[in-house]
Amino acid sequence: MEKYWDKDIETMPPEKMKALQSERLVKQVKHVYENVKYYRDLMDEKGVKPEDITSVDDLHKLPFISKADLRDSYPYGMLAVPLSECVRIHSTSGTTGKRVVAFYTQNDVDMWENCIARAITAAGGDENDVLQVAYGYGLFTGGAGVHGGSHKVGCLTLPMSSGNTERQIQFMQDLGATFLCCTPSYAAYIGETIQEMGISPDDLKLRAGIFGAEPWTEEMRQTIEKSLGIKAYDIYGLTETSGPGVAFECSEQKGMHINEDNFIPEVINPDTGEVLPDGEVGELVFTSITKEAFPLLRYRTRDLCVLSRGKCKCGRTLIKMTKPMGRSDDMMIIRGVNVFPSQIETVLIAEGYAPNYIIEVDRVNNNDTLDISVEMKPEQFSDKVKDMQDQERSLALAIKTMLGINPKVHLVSPKSITRSEGKAVRVIDKRRLHDMPAK
Amino acid sequence: MGYVRQISVFLDNKPNQLTGVMKLIKNHNINIRALSIADTKDFGILRMIVSDTEKAVDVLREASYAVAETEIVAITIPDTPGQLSRVLDILGEQNVNIEYLYAFLGKSDRSVSFVIRVDDNDNAYTALESGGIIRLTANDISEM
Repeated sequence: MEKYWDKDIETMPPEKMKALQSERLVKQVKHVYENVKYYRDLMDEKGVKPEDITSVDDLHKLPFISKADLRDSYPYGMLAVPLSECVRIHSTSGTTGKRVVAFYTQNDVDMWENCIARAITAAGGDENDVLQVAYGYGLFTGGAGVHGGSHKVGCLTLPMSSGNTERQIQFMQDLGATFLCCTPSYAAYIGETIQEMGISPDDLKLRAGIFGAEPWTEEMRQTIEKSLGIKAYDIYGLTETSGPGVAFECSEQKGMHINEDNFIPEVINPDTGEVLPDGEVGELVFTSITKEAFPLLRYRTRDLCVLSRGKCKCGRTLIKMTKPMGRSDDMMIIRGVNVFPSQIETVLIAEGYAPNYIIEVDRVNNNDTLDISVEMKPEQFSDKVKDMQDQERSLALAIKTMLGINPKVHLVSPKSITRSEGKAVRVIDKRRLHDMPAK
Repeated sequence: MGYVRQISVFLDNKPNQLTGVMKLIKNHNINIRALSIADTKDFGILRMIVSDTEKAVDVLREASYAVAETEIVAITIPDTPGQLSRVLDILGEQNVNIEYLYAFLGKSDRSVSFVIRVDDNDNAYTALESGGIIRLTANDISEM
């Protein structure tokens, strides 16, 4: 029997959902226009008035906003309620520039935690579960968000935060954790450590995990599921819209259901801004229609994915998105070819390597170079130089087949690549240094 | 039968890799009998025969090195011109393929010892025996 957190919403007929969205959108546009000068200016500039928006069909009339807008308006420019009504902030890591700070009212926090409660329920969790939160706590949305969602469901919540892996495993054993929530790269690392400590997945009560905050591949899912003896579910979200829980996987594990009663998705052509029909790859855009403090209209996520509607086997009618193929800023253009780290990861795992790698892109004599350092597994080592070079060559060939460009593959010692306890940094693009103007 | 076992260790192409291995070996009081390093542009492979193979493998694995243990052929021959060539002829006649070899100091200064990595140990043993070449056993080496 499929369990739902908000059955009415999660299985709502599409026409009814559209009516609900329209009602909320109209209200939200008015709220934003009246309370956020930045939006009012953008809309005035485009010649759109709140009255022009009468249903979701009018969504395309609204201007887009992007991360640059959020940076320009930092910190309070997008705030739509008095600060006295806000109860919390979260912030992006700021790795790509200035941080984005998002504000939450108590209603915003409740909405967000409900979204996460839906995700936990869809993964089969309920009040009998012991849920270990190994996302970082703090400004990052992962820890606090999942923590709150877990409370809503009534799970016994273990607020571990990330790091101290042996202690994570000890608590997992001693307190019989049944759910693990963290980044997929950290889950893989915990799985690896369990193996090293000689613990079999059968000795653990763990049965499911909800992993997100960074892109991961189907192959990575299999690696995690095998090493931890669990079902691994994806969860999607971004600080700008709330945090994890914007979309979540159900037992089908084929795409993520978007909580579209709160977030209306669109997929657009990233170059022209044109809205694309369901089934086509494009940039995901979200409009949050219930958020009070930090409501974003048509926010461009830079994530590339495909939307699809149709009743899922789980019974949910919520629209689905594919796993993001990568954030458009993760995409590297190497010798004119679009390359996503996830494509390389797929090949590595398929060829029997651990998902521990560093991708280095550089420019030598005006030619892009792609170097991939990959950890070998201890059993892949041979005393013969020829064997090692053959392995490197055959892996390079498999990657070339996938990408269409020739990489240089370097096998490195087991455990020599630093493990990540949060979001993994796997790409070093040195070309940007060369592109800086000389002074 | 006292076959000689060699340990090989993968070395990343960055400073202090060999130092790390040597420190571990030293801290565990393990003596090195023979050693060679194969280097490529990308990585190195350290190969050695040590006084306590099992212990060396354990401590290196514990420290996350990629380690392989291989059975190799060890011989000792007189330190005079043409001796190695004779050994190679003997192996060649039996179609034994050599992957690599390296010399190490033997018991006396009138002889020299070699580690030979071949594709077929049994075939190599038979060939060397019928050619009258003295093979070293694990015992011989530990007594050195």
